[in-house]
Amino acid sequence: MKHTRWIGAVVSATLALATSTACSSSSGGGAGGKVHLTFWTHTHPPMIALNKALIKEYETKHPNVSIDYQQIPNTDFNTKMLASLSNGSGPDIINMDDVALRGDYIPKNLLAPLDYKAMGLSSQQAIEDKYIDGTLDGAEGPDGTLYGLPTEFNATAFAINTEQFRKAGLDPDQPPATWDDVAADGKKLVAAGQGGFNFLYLSAGQYTQQLQILLNETGGSIVDKAGTKATIDNAQGIAALSIWNKLINVDKVGNAHTASRDATAPFADFEAGKTAMTIMYPWGVGQIKQDNPAMYKNLKVVPLPQVDPANPSGRWYGYYEAVNKASKQQAEAWKFIQYSASQSQRWLTDVNFIQPLKGWAQSPAASSVPFLSVWEQAYSRGRFDEIGHHWNEVQDAVKTAIEDTVLNGKPVADSLKQAASTINEALPD
Amino acid sequence: MTSTTVRARRPRHTATTRHNWIGAAFAVPALALFGAFAIYPMARVFYISFFDYDLTSAPRFVGWHNYRYLFGSETFQASLTATAFYVVFTYAPAVVLALVLAAGLDTRLPGSGFIRLLYFAPVAMSWVAVSIIWRLILQPDGLLNAVFGTHVNWLTSDSSAKWALVVVSIWKETGLFVILFLAGLQRIPDELREAAALDGAGRVATFRYVILPLLRPVTAVVCVMAIIRGCQSFSAQVVLTGGSFNTEVINLYVYKTAFESARMGRASAVAVLLFFGLLMVTMLQLRLFRSRER
Amino acid sequence: MTRHLAERVSADLAAPPPVVEAPTDGARPAPRRARRPVGRALVLYGLLLPGGLVFASVFVYAVVSALKPPDEVLASPMRWWPSHVLWSNFAKPFEQVPFGRYYLNSVVVGVAVTLLNVVTCTLAGYSFSKFAYRGRSLLFLIVLATMMIPLEVIYVPLYALVYDLKWVNTFAGLIVPAGTSAFGILLMRQSIDGLPDEILDAARLDGAGELRILWRIVAPMMGAPISALALIVFMATWDSHLWPLLVGSDDQHRTLPVGLAAMQADNAGTTGVPMLVAAAVMALLPTLILFVLLQRRFVHGMTMTADVK
Repeated sequence: MKHTRWIGAVVSATLALATSTACSSSSGGGAGGKVHLTFWTHTHPPMIALNKALIKEYETKHPNVSIDYQQIPNTDFNTKMLASLSNGSGPDIINMDDVALRGDYIPKNLLAPLDYKAMGLSSQQAIEDKYIDGTLDGAEGPDGTLYGLPTEFNATAFAINTEQFRKAGLDPDQPPATWDDVAADGKKLVAAGQGGFNFLYLSAGQYTQQLQILLNETGGSIVDKAGTKATIDNAQGIAALSIWNKLINVDKVGNAHTASRDATAPFADFEAGKTAMTIMYPWGVGQIKQDNPAMYKNLKVVPLPQVDPANPSGRWYGYYEAVNKASKQQAEAWKFIQYSASQSQRWLTDVNFIQPLKGWAQSPAASSVPFLSVWEQAYSRGRFDEIGHHWNEVQDAVKTAIEDTVLNGKPVADSLKQAASTINEALPD
Repeated sequence: MTSTTVRARRPRHTATTRHNWIGAAFAVPALALFGAFAIYPMARVFYISFFDYDLTSAPRFVGWHNYRYLFGSETFQASLTATAFYVVFTYAPAVVLALVLAAGLDTRLPGSGFIRLLYFAPVAMSWVAVSIIWRLILQPDGLLNAVFGTHVNWLTSDSSAKWALVVVSIWKETGLFVILFLAGLQRIPDELREAAALDGAGRVATFRYVILPLLRPVTAVVCVMAIIRGCQSFSAQVVLTGGSFNTEVINLYVYKTAFESARMGRASAVAVLLFFGLLMVTMLQLRLFRSRER
Repeated sequence: MTRHLAERVSADLAAPPPVVEAPTDGARPAPRRARRPVGRALVLYGLLLPGGLVFASVFVYAVVSALKPPDEVLASPMRWWPSHVLWSNFAKPFEQVPFGRYYLNSVVVGVAVTLLNVVTCTLAGYSFSKFAYRGRSLLFLIVLATMMIPLEVIYVPLYALVYDLKWVNTFAGLIVPAGTSAFGILLMRQSIDGLPDEILDAARLDGAGELRILWRIVAPMMGAPISALALIVFMATWDSHLWPLLVGSDDQHRTLPVGLAAMQADNAGTTGVPMLVAAAVMALLPTLILFVLLQRRFVHGMTMTADVK
């Protein structure tokens, strides 16, 4: 943008303030062997603590490198990224989820390919060999180029409150295996004055993720393979939303209106005993342990309920560290990412973040992971979410459909038909 | 008395030309800041509204496409409806309430300062804070239903969410207009009220025929501001409903389109339409203020 | 935008009648009692006090919630009173995030932006109200027009500009672009319009310069609108979230609303909720203090004559 420079020059000349206060900008160059890197992540306190420790170690080992670590509120992350990428600024190292990577940043050519040479490796394959098959797909372009390494990789499981199960006369060692079991157990729990089951009603992204879990099980999808037409209103899609709707509005195992909508504490209802069953992620276990040690004693992680237990499915999502294509220090940035990724044991012990390396479940740190066998199983059969152009508009449409049906009583087919029409409007022709 | 003061248009500028360049110079700091930090970016928004621009690749000229799209978009039209509802039901009551409150609070009786503070407290709270508290109050088991013995799903139903926003926003915004009205009332000399009282005018009549006309400059500011704030609001919707349940107002649509969908051209087109819409409404308001006087 | 239109807006906004100002010759009117104090008192204590308590009850509820143990804040059915009062919720923001630093940043930015606005808006309001020069109406219309565009969309070009100025992660980037406001100029112009020209002309005959007239005569008589302006600008700055988010990334320049948003978003768990409420309660103190300091200026018959010497 040439005008901005011009106006910028005029303004700096007029305002004396400029000279006195001008200082750092995000992507500084590396004059005289000094390397200055900027690193952005979302906010998650245990992760921030470990990142800070890793940076300190890395800076000690490489005295010419300094890393400016900045945390951006989750809800604002994309806004901040877009505004800074719009003029070619932005951080050198970005920590980002796979939906954003695959949906926006890789197709828009905003990221630098993984620099295996800077990492001292002979090929990209050398990296891929270390990870469980398919888990790096979350940061891979359509041509197979890799754009990031995972720091946090989540598979999906389920959790029950064993104390409430016992009080309702249920056996915690016989957890629900299907969604029909969840309904049956839920009804017994509610009848016994215990908590039932509920989904989370937070952001559009979270609504979509949960429906995606159900879609994976019913064989449905939000859009077709080519990403040009909505398929959410087909029979499998209707089956998926019907599972959700039946649990809440027919079996009444949970109340969507009284569910906590506080994104600060996604497991608040489960911790408070308002629900005895919830969908669970590895980081959630750590959070409950820290928040509510008493409740944690009754926590049991079990496999995700299935539509067809003989043919189970699961859902994966991950956060990857990637490098901004506009960065002038790409090789140095990758070297830091390599160091961070090499600390998988500490990610596991300090933050409960599992890195999907082959054999992670047999590593020393894994022995301290509670419910290891459930997680190991979940990590062996996952699938990344669907993505596409302007995916947030699709997520918004999905959210509206779920709210229309689950909270406002609109028939499933009608809500999904409406969603399909909104989605088709958003998709490219 | 009122009619003469109102009609008499004083000669507005008695200052000699000698002073005029100095007078113009007084506007320079503000104009310089506006030029760089408002007008330049605004011009850019107008320009970008004719492009397909995803913020990270070069803008592609599309002519009137963004505007044509909007006229056919249900989402956009829904946002217009949501905004109109919000503005009418929030700001009309808030402004009237503020005027009444200001009239009552314009006093030096003991304790009046404290009472003014009570009405001001909500204005001082940030929307983030407001949302945390009001979500607790509005949840089905919360304070509001507990007090009134109702079972309304305030924030989670199509029928109630828009009213919940209205209630919270009236609570939050009224105090702001109270301040402006108080500042206006403060500048109306006691002599006028007393003169009216001597003429035998009652309290209501004095307010209607003496105070209100003299308050017009500030009332104009308040009304212009109310409409603009209402049409540009989105914090309330973001923090309380996230735009669900038919509460996605124009500015929230703009924000989502710009930063979540990365369709800056389309978002700019909405902004341009909003710009002209507000400009027209403001003109109309000001004309109404004038013609009522005639 | 035609010139004709510009003139009309200008005339419309100038429509207010001249208000007879309090005497400026130093002859101070005797302190005056409010008319029929009984009626006023009845309204004040009988209606406005209970109404105000209803308004402020939400605030009280916030303070009470901030003192609750984590599992009681979101409890259902709701708890009126904490089982035990937890003052430590108020200390947590300082322990877990650089809350004190965010606070200081917000105060610095808030005060600087407010002062800048008071100066630029009063100057411009005076200029638009009391001087005639070519293009004045058009300029004023342009100023007004800047109110009509949603800020979110101008932030992208604005960010590019501020980046080129090397103001990203500086206080200048947070302060200077917010240094004036159309609303403030409108308010000041409307208020100064009510000032009789005779007073200004008399001062000019005495040989006072324009700046001196503004400083010694106009500004003191504008106590109420300037206070309202200061309060409203300070609040808007204090509450501003998106721009500080874009222009500041590090803790040295992060302001409270961004800090609060980070706390709200960061999956802190249930322990985070009362901490967040406590932080929010603490965050509104400066605005309340400013209101207490300024509020007497809004009240009738208090300051005018005393200020004009």
